[in-house]
Amino acid sequence: MIELRNVSLKYGEKEILKKVSLTVCDNTIKAILGPSGVGKSTILKLMLGLIKPNSGQVLVDDTDITPLKESALYGIRRKMGMVFQGNALFDSLTISQNLGFFLRENMNLPEEEVNRRVTEQIQFAGLEGYEDQLPESLSGGMRRRVAIGRALIFKPHMILFDEPTAGLDPVSSKKILSLISSLRHHNNLGAVIVTHIIDDVFNVADSVAVLYQGEIIFDDVTEKLHESKHQFIQSILSDKILEL
Amino acid sequence: MGSENEKPTFTRMKTGESTVIASHRMQFMPSAVILILGKKLVLQLKDFFLTMQEFFFFSLKAFMAFPKMIRYWRDVLDQATICGTDSIPIVLVSAISIGALLAIEVGNLLEDFGAKTMLGRSTALSIIRELGPLLMGLMLSARFGSRNGAELGAMQISEQIDALRAFGTDPIAKLVMPRLLAALIMFLPLTALSDFAGLQSAAYMADHYHKIDPGIFWNAVYPRLVAKDFVVGFLKAPVFAIIITLVSCFNGFSARGGTAGVGRSTIKGIVVSSGLVLIANFYVSKIVLENM
Ligand SMILES: Nc1ncnc2c1ncn2[C@@H]1O[C@H](COP(=O)(O)OP(=O)(O)O)[C@@H](O)[C@H]1O
Ligand SMILES: [Mg+2]
Repeated sequence: MIELRNVSLKYGEKEILKKVSLTVCDNTIKAILGPSGVGKSTILKLMLGLIKPNSGQVLVDDTDITPLKESALYGIRRKMGMVFQGNALFDSLTISQNLGFFLRENMNLPEEEVNRRVTEQIQFAGLEGYEDQLPESLSGGMRRRVAIGRALIFKPHMILFDEPTAGLDPVSSKKILSLISSLRHHNNLGAVIVTHIIDDVFNVADSVAVLYQGEIIFDDVTEKLHESKHQFIQSILSDKILEL
Repeated sequence: MGSENEKPTFTRMKTGESTVIASHRMQFMPSAVILILGKKLVLQLKDFFLTMQEFFFFSLKAFMAFPKMIRYWRDVLDQATICGTDSIPIVLVSAISIGALLAIEVGNLLEDFGAKTMLGRSTALSIIRELGPLLMGLMLSARFGSRNGAELGAMQISEQIDALRAFGTDPIAKLVMPRLLAALIMFLPLTALSDFAGLQSAAYMADHYHKIDPGIFWNAVYPRLVAKDFVVGFLKAPVFAIIITLVSCFNGFSARGGTAGVGRSTIKGIVVSSGLVLIANFYVSKIVLENM
């Protein structure tokens, strides 16, 4: 479980988050919806402890991670897998090296176990035959699947997606979304999906929080989004995509 | 009581209202400008010291990561190839051309004094103490520094550095420490190479341009060199290695704002590290020569 309690964050004079509170339960898919530049990626980075809030607490499985040092955070981060907005694959490594990279780096696993897990992810992500290719030679959707595989390889119990369908064609988007919803059924995984595309929310999310001008203006099950009277939510429901 | 004392002053000012306003107007413009400039300056100073503090901790972490060199020995080797072996051509070219130029110009000068036999000594001193290491430093700052700035900057903006942290790898140990260690190891032989090539080309020019017998040239080089000359020259290698690597890596890590940001941080890395190399060159010479 991940919980933000009254989290505020400023970059210089610019207030990005104003007392944001948010809970993500295990085994559910939670979407965070908001326009570009509102601070969605920032929220994911806060959850991982990559950045610290100016005030408030971030709790991961009931541990407050805000006062923790980097070395103490490594163990906690391994409970979560992160899929970055631009995938953040290592462009000088092949697909299977990318997948196995952090297992080799941070776990003292025997090489056979590493290879076994890499093969498992290759199959799960449907990347057979591309093991020895570099990321740049793959399509956007495939690269996204490699990034998802890399996040899953530690067997986390929560996975964080930063704009999983942004920049993908509709077919690839659909594939990624079905991959995401299959995660919960097969692996009992919780997920946070940050997005500015409202279709993503309706396709996979159990509940959704809407972030607008630094504040959470809606936080409930997805179906209730239609009942919201908030002007911003009404406008995004009619426009489908937030391009603000 | 205080307020009663102030009241009369206020009214007195009011009686001379027109003059007050006139003088106020004249002062208003400059004082507002100074105020804005002052505020800007304070902000920039604050920014500067914050950056300095960040840089200090960044450097500290890079040195503290040295025990992990066993784990990252492959990265150290890779970086040693990049900053060492691959830099040999550029170091050779710059050392040879400067050695040759130095021999020609200083030879002409010494000829006027009838002291051409001293050419070996004067070129040897300037190359070993100053020009050999300095040229190596500047070339490496351009070559190794730009590579670090661009590579790490690109990794930063594509979130690869965040990814390392997110999955539990210390990016400074993985990316910066191997570069620093490789530079510390490789800059010494590169300095020696730079010295050697510079002197050889000076000797060649002395022979072919000034018609100074190589025997005479080298005789003025070897027997006169003392330990101090080598200390000055070779102490610069690790100093430059630290400056160039840490400054360029730090700037790469601080890259923000897309590809243009990578360009900016790379340039900043090279400019700052070249400047610091020049300054450090002066101070190492000064300190060692004064104290040895
Ligand atoms: N390191 C940083 N320094 C300064 N401002 C930043 C930094 N990172 C993000 N921001 C700003 O914070 C805001 C939120 O960023 P982000 O979380 O990436 O938004 P998004 O919702 O699009 O993911 C943006 O306006 C961005 O410019
Ligand atoms: Mg974002």
